[in-house]
Amino acid sequence: MPSLAIDPCVSCSEHREQSLVRLGLSPDKWDYLIALAGNPNVGKSTVFNQLTGLRQHTGNWPGKTVVRAEGAFGHKDNRVKVVDLPGTYSLQAGSVDEEVARDFVLFGRPDVTVVVVDATRLERNLNLVLQILEITDRVVVFLNLMDEARRHGIALDPKRLEAELGVPVVPGTARDGQGIDALLDTAHEVAMGGRTTAPYRPERQAPEVERAITRLVPVIEDVFDDVPNARWVALRLLNADEAVQEAVRSGELGQLSREDFDEERPVPEPEDRQRVLDSATRLRWELPPDFHDLVTEHAYRAAEEIAQKVQKRGLAKAGFDLDRKLDELLTSPIFGFPLMLFILAVVFWLTIEGANVPSSMLATLLIDNVHGWLSGVATSMGTPWWLQGFLLDGVYLSTAWVISVMLPPMAIFFPLFTLLEDFGYLPRVAFNLDSLFQKAGAHGKQALTMCMGFGCNAAGVVATRVIDSPRERLIAIITNNFSLCNGRWPTQILIATIFIGALVPAELGGLVAAAAVVGIALFGIVMMFLSSWLLSRTVLRGEATSFSLELPPYRPPRILQTLYTSVIDRTLIVLWRAIVFAIPAGAVIWLSSNIMIGDLSIAAHAVEWLNPMGLLIGLNGVILVAYIVAIPANEIVIPTVLMLTVLTTGVAGGEGAGVMFELDSVPATGELLRAGGWTLLTAVNIMLFSLLHNPCSTTIYTIYKETRSAKWTSVATLMPVAMGVTVCFLVTQVWRLLAG
Amino acid sequence: MQPLPVVQKDEAVPELRLGDVPLRQEVELISIDLPADQAEPLLERGVLPGCRICPVRSSPGGDPIVSVDGSLIALRRETAACLCVRLLTRFQEAT
Repeated sequence: MPSLAIDPCVSCSEHREQSLVRLGLSPDKWDYLIALAGNPNVGKSTVFNQLTGLRQHTGNWPGKTVVRAEGAFGHKDNRVKVVDLPGTYSLQAGSVDEEVARDFVLFGRPDVTVVVVDATRLERNLNLVLQILEITDRVVVFLNLMDEARRHGIALDPKRLEAELGVPVVPGTARDGQGIDALLDTAHEVAMGGRTTAPYRPERQAPEVERAITRLVPVIEDVFDDVPNARWVALRLLNADEAVQEAVRSGELGQLSREDFDEERPVPEPEDRQRVLDSATRLRWELPPDFHDLVTEHAYRAAEEIAQKVQKRGLAKAGFDLDRKLDELLTSPIFGFPLMLFILAVVFWLTIEGANVPSSMLATLLIDNVHGWLSGVATSMGTPWWLQGFLLDGVYLSTAWVISVMLPPMAIFFPLFTLLEDFGYLPRVAFNLDSLFQKAGAHGKQALTMCMGFGCNAAGVVATRVIDSPRERLIAIITNNFSLCNGRWPTQILIATIFIGALVPAELGGLVAAAAVVGIALFGIVMMFLSSWLLSRTVLRGEATSFSLELPPYRPPRILQTLYTSVIDRTLIVLWRAIVFAIPAGAVIWLSSNIMIGDLSIAAHAVEWLNPMGLLIGLNGVILVAYIVAIPANEIVIPTVLMLTVLTTGVAGGEGAGVMFELDSVPATGELLRAGGWTLLTAVNIMLFSLLHNPCSTTIYTIYKETRSAKWTSVATLMPVAMGVTVCFLVTQVWRLLAG
Repeated sequence: MQPLPVVQKDEAVPELRLGDVPLRQEVELISIDLPADQAEPLLERGVLPGCRICPVRSSPGGDPIVSVDGSLIALRRETAACLCVRLLTRFQEAT
């Protein structure tokens, strides 16, 4: 790439298009490394996307980036790697995301750390900036949301801020790409050492603290001779900060001075390292008991002072008025809950109605046409029947089912959900529901992960990382399965239409069926609260921790970008995982219904064996077998039920042993199921059981990855099954009693 | 908007908790009566002793939303009851 440095129009945006070569995902090599840090909800991900051209999803709720995202771009002949850290308010490492962010700034050796700051909330944001400045010299502050600041009548002086902080400050509006050029150039200068900084460091602590620091610093400098900021290390050690203690213990601290980190430095002797820790422990005894509070308050005072020097607030608060009106409505004691239910119902309705047509089109294409064509080709090639059956009827069909049933509703649900998220509605939902969660002993942010679960439970489980308290996070993980996920909606809708919608006159059928499905979803929410409450009274005992949640300003959602990002990073990822798990399920289904033991297939044996148990809880053997083979993907429950019903009852229809199918018309499906012995009771129970049973294998796997505990994974898996069996049993017994 | 009640700032003014402050009454935070680990998230969000804080709404469940430094923060009632505040006189309010 030719050097463009002497080009006279370097600052215009056309130039950026040339100098900024987006390299997409992380390259193997890079010339320098940028870490992006900042408070939650300040537009860090927007800056990241502007730089890398990636479309990482940017959500309008705190803690969106729960893991760090990486990307890269080329700038002025350099390959630059960017790491987007989770948004945090501080680097105290109190929660998973704070730990990730802090460890990276400390040990990830970024060449420059760009701190994205919300210009409308300078004071609070500066707290994090100051903490980062204590760790590293190479910092650039990006003063984002300058447009919002102007609208809210806040005048800022970036030059003054730069002078106060001692590091470059670049103002801009990342959404519109303003200031990105300047940010790039400045980050480049700082990273390459072309610009030296003199970061502000809070000078004097309280006298006792200051005494302890001055005694500890020489010890640290003696052992780690080139540590960049011994004062900070001393303060953290006095604070008994585990990450820093560990860095001293392992000698990793010595590798932090990053001028020449190509060559590894000799690690100080173990006894020397222990000496540092021992001195810190000894000095800690001499500190006042409220030492921690003193240090914290000191830092916040500094942030406050700087903020007051550089900003002027006008009286214009017009921008907040609309927000306030909306909040009055959306979090109103009277309208809050009904509106929430209404929005939930609209989202579901749009998903269900909108998915109908594309789902049946996909089914026609993949199942009727492509499957028929593939079978024709296989037959003409003389493929043995068992291989053709295994591959096409088993593996291919199950995958095709998953795609045609799952893709359309997800492609509608996730963008809708994302729009609500972008707009800022989800934190309000969390706020509305918080008092209920508190009574259940759970965390208010569980509302966010619960909503996410309506799309996909695995996604909901990952989202629980925003919850700091491990106890409350476990509760959120275990109970996420009670959010009726997309994979289970189709079963609910089909069964409700056939058996419940049929109870009323035809014109009301659709409405009643929809109401029944929403009823099941609400029942799921009730069960979620109930089991959260039970867990926090028994195995996960504890009080709800104090909770405060920032309600971000409403922001107009960007529709096109939302569509794109939510399709790419939610829909397709979730779909891919489902396909991966559906393939073995298809194989198992086909094999079990084609391998004979005696004169019955394995599947038929299993159905017969489970039938008494099934009937006891108002289901039947077919349904139980279908749920067992459908553990990998809930979407294939209905096709499997139909196939097994034909297999075991011998009713005419179907495509042959082990071939999943669905009938073209809902009435025909109803006839087949009734022939299989289904009643209204069976329908009610299957709807309940579909809500209350083990999570799918993707979710189970995700739970294990998140908790790293076989015990809690088993609890999360088995508890809902036990509840489902109990509820179905009770419903059946009461029903039979009433029916006489 | 109604004029704010004028309160003399002296020792006789009884200590108030944020939970008892009526909506839209701006107050000054004196201290946070919570253990450090629970006070920390509040400090991080800008709820610092000395700051102006104003309850703006209350949730369907009766928990307050307060406005601090231009942002809205939802608190639990129990938390609000641990924040000691004092009323501002009209003159201080005007600044």
